Amino acid sequence: MRSLRTAQPLLVLIALVAILVGLTVIAREISARAGFLVERPIVLLVWLGGLLIAGAVFAWVVRRSMRRDASRSGLLLRALTALALASPLALILLQHPAP
Amino acid sequence: MLVKRAVAGLMILAGVLTLGYVGISSYIAEELVYEAPKAIVKTPASLGLRFADITFPSRGDRINLKGWLIPGVLPDGRLTADRVIVVVHGTRTNRESPGDHLLELTAALARHGFGVLSFDMRGMGESPPAPLSMGTLEQRDVLGAVDFLRNAPPPFPELGRPRIIGGLGISMGAATMLLAASQEPAIAAVVSDSAYAEVVPLLEREIAKRSIAPIGRVPGGFAPGALVMARLLYGVDFFAARPVAGVARIAPRPLLLIHGTADDYVPMANFRQLDSAATSVPGAHVTTWIVPNARHAQAFKKTGTEYVTRVVAFFDAALGAAA
Repeated sequence: MRSLRTAQPLLVLIALVAILVGLTVIAREISARAGFLVERPIVLLVWLGGLLIAGAVFAWVVRRSMRRDASRSGLLLRALTALALASPLALILLQHPAP
Repeated sequence: MLVKRAVAGLMILAGVLTLGYVGISSYIAEELVYEAPKAIVKTPASLGLRFADITFPSRGDRINLKGWLIPGVLPDGRLTADRVIVVVHGTRTNRESPGDHLLELTAALARHGFGVLSFDMRGMGESPPAPLSMGTLEQRDVLGAVDFLRNAPPPFPELGRPRIIGGLGISMGAATMLLAASQEPAIAAVVSDSAYAEVVPLLEREIAKRSIAPIGRVPGGFAPGALVMARLLYGVDFFAARPVAGVARIAPRPLLLIHGTADDYVPMANFRQLDSAATSVPGAHVTTWIVPNARHAQAFKKTGTEYVTRVVAFFDAALGAAA
């Protein structure tokens, strides 16, 4: 139980990403029936709105977790969660633009 | 306490940077997959040619595309649809494509006895709005054009169905034609003018030239993120727009690759990559024409008659004489 609480930010991060991607795909499938001109802004709104809400939820979960658990393993896991959170930034390394 | 603060700082930094990166990348992706369609001003009639307005579905996803079928004109003035060339325009334009004089090229082919099917790819011209995918989805439009020629009631019933089909594309149209021809043997010969070998490096360079209102010029690092977000948000896989991966499958069908030496949008390296891949298999039948000082997709505009002579000679040899 304690280890689950320690890993809570990481688990919440994974769940939020899965929910957000799932919601966006559903929004795309539904709005696509009305045509691409409708699909395009709706998908972006759902995604960006969801991103902000997910960010707020995650911040709250992390804050609560930090208050409740100051153990060494908890800190280590939160540091790992921060790295996981920053992992999309690794895409920057993949660029290979044409001359 | 210090470690706790450091971890908290790391978490805040990671959250802010990731939110910013993903948010801005998503916005760029949304811009990348859409271009307002351009209206068609001139028709083949303005060049003295008969034509029929046609509508046909793309293969697989059945998007109804708009186009023209222009019968070829034989030397004695009779019309023919014996040999039909599917002509594919470039990105952010339409089947008229005044920037590269595509309608004039289309008319020149028709006057040399080739029927022409010219159409607006999805999201462009008069075809319905759709995401721009630089060939990944649009190849279905070319395949739909082939299906139309082979199976739909002919727009000119007296001319019958085409005996043989060729393909000509310019820029993104060329890349799209290569993608389609690599999987459709009914396209008996292909002219590819200014095609890219793969689109991602070009998009990465172009994204870095863009400017977004609050942040100004987009740093190049956002480009991979935008391409991934285009896949996630709109299902547009720019990474699959790689004609170089399939061009060898066009063999033994004849392929003419054209490229301008002054092309600064699709650098000559793309031409070399495509040529190398296309000729890498036994039985490949590849002809190349490097046009000195021609900028991107400007070979016809620059060389005019010579372009038509070379393309007509290529199709005559590949498709046989008109009946």
